[in-house]
Amino acid sequence: MIGASLSKWTMSYFGVALLALLGAELLMVVGFGFPSQPVAAPQTLVLVHLVAIGWLSLLLSGALIQFVPVLVAKPLSHPDLPAVALGLLVAGLAALMAGFLGMAGFHLDSTLWLPLGAIGLIAGFTLIIWNLGRTIWSAWPINLPAWFVVAGLASLVGVVVLGTIFSLVLSGLTSNAALLRLTAEGIPLHAALGLGGWLTFTAMGVSYRLLAMFMLSPEAEHRTSRVALVAGVGAIAVIAIGGPVCLLVFGQAVSHPLLAALVLGIVGLGLYGYDIVRLYRNRKRRNIELNALMAAWALAVLGLAGLLLLILTAVGEIDRFAGAVMFLFAFGWLTGLGLAKLYKIVAFLTWLECYGGLLGKRPTPRVQDLVNEPRAMPWFRIYFASVGIAAIAAFLTAPLAFRIAAFGMLVATIGICVQLASIRMLRSVPTPLLHGEKHPRPRLLLPSLQSRR
Amino acid sequence: MIQVQHELDVRPILRAGGEPFTVIMDAVKKLGSGQALRLLATFEPIPLYGVLAKKGFAHAAREIGDGDWEVVFTPTAALASPQKAQPVGSTGGSAASPGWPEPSCHLDNRDLEPPEPLVRTLAAVEELRPGEVLSALLCREPVFLLPKLNERGHEWRGGFEADGKTYRLVVRKGAGKEAAA
Repeated sequence: MIGASLSKWTMSYFGVALLALLGAELLMVVGFGFPSQPVAAPQTLVLVHLVAIGWLSLLLSGALIQFVPVLVAKPLSHPDLPAVALGLLVAGLAALMAGFLGMAGFHLDSTLWLPLGAIGLIAGFTLIIWNLGRTIWSAWPINLPAWFVVAGLASLVGVVVLGTIFSLVLSGLTSNAALLRLTAEGIPLHAALGLGGWLTFTAMGVSYRLLAMFMLSPEAEHRTSRVALVAGVGAIAVIAIGGPVCLLVFGQAVSHPLLAALVLGIVGLGLYGYDIVRLYRNRKRRNIELNALMAAWALAVLGLAGLLLLILTAVGEIDRFAGAVMFLFAFGWLTGLGLAKLYKIVAFLTWLECYGGLLGKRPTPRVQDLVNEPRAMPWFRIYFASVGIAAIAAFLTAPLAFRIAAFGMLVATIGICVQLASIRMLRSVPTPLLHGEKHPRPRLLLPSLQSRR
Repeated sequence: MIQVQHELDVRPILRAGGEPFTVIMDAVKKLGSGQALRLLATFEPIPLYGVLAKKGFAHAAREIGDGDWEVVFTPTAALASPQKAQPVGSTGGSAASPGWPEPSCHLDNRDLEPPEPLVRTLAAVEELRPGEVLSALLCREPVFLLPKLNERGHEWRGGFEADGKTYRLVVRKGAGKEAAA
């Protein structure tokens, strides 16, 4: 079969992911973890993993099970497997956080929470990678955006392997010298592969296609995009292979491979930025929708964060400010882009779910009839403004200001969630188009009960 | 019904500095009735398109890497009786199928924002009488539209034009009885 259909479980992923984001923002408001506590504190690990796995990885996984089939024009190999994966990932994340809380001094009986969490996360991510990998394989040879996804999934394997090693060491299940060394010094590799390889690189690949699609830009594959892919794959390989080799074979610190990966990563990001500016300039749609405007803000933060990373590394101050730069990457770039694209994706998927069967047979609303951009826009503005203030507070190590700004982020995110829920509930659809008892009503987070082809 | 393609790889001839034109024309002469020719070359053989179009062949070309090209020349008469839901995908014939009636409706949906191409194409198909045909130009493979056409019991053929940018879709309306949707 050629073509893609609606992914049944994407909305469930989005719902759980948004809950995790709200939870993480609440933790920041009450001063749990960075910057109120040190970057390396177990409390910060709880916060970081709630954001990286609970929010960003579930958001990206939910988006990929819908958009990999669109990228490669083949249906998802196992449409119901994502439900099982979601359960495993949530259970794994909960156990992992229990493990970190144990490290922070909370009494949680068992020392096995960390490895249990690793088992759940390995199982969940394996199912995701297997499902997406088979789908991509069925469409071989693949296009350029799909290659970014393949590289991102390879990074995810690296992240999970390193995380599993850490969990075994931290819970005392192994005292292997090589694994101890990896745990002591390999955390930057784990973080770079996760934030850079898996989350950023995959988002880049998907955004090439999504931005072109929604702004009606020509989609030719440019040499710059191909070089960006090669540079990014190089950066991932240097971290995933070069890092451990440097550490375990040559007994050196991981700073050299990290620096090499940074240079390659900046080259890739620069070319990606160039391509994206070209996409925006060559668009045939003159009026920019909320999602594309907010994505542009997120991209600007990505550029700023990349620049700061480069400068701080050059002047040797990166260790002091790593937490603040990571905050910008996670909340300005990845979360900003994620929320912006959610606003479009949720509307589009809801529209297709409700009206796909009715198109051409009776008047149906347009996708834009499902959204209320003037009402949503202020929340996005508050979100980005709060992230800006929080980032400055993080750089200046001003925890109280950070917590106040985090409260702004929390309120804005709640506002955006309410907007997303009202899209699902068809609140903005003009009443004349809602006539009839048979009007389809989607469920908020679960697939509808009728079987869908 | 399209027969098994005849494959001709002229890349070795081209790389050796030779001129494959006569070899290609000989191969075309030897094709069975309704048989398609799959040609592999080191560049896009644009001059050949006109020559073979006069002999009644439609073409679909795509770059297959390293600057090489695959072009499938399909006799337009062979597109006459396509199988239901047997899409030819990216190697599809770029001409409307003569065995089907001439398209009674032509849509150019290339400059519409998604999902307008999906909406307009489905709406136009609904306007047709069973057996009537429409053709549509799109700027990308319509991944959400194709399953919808299958669900509604319509036949379609589609593929990218030689420029690799325009996707031409030809739809014949089904008998009116929808597949279980």
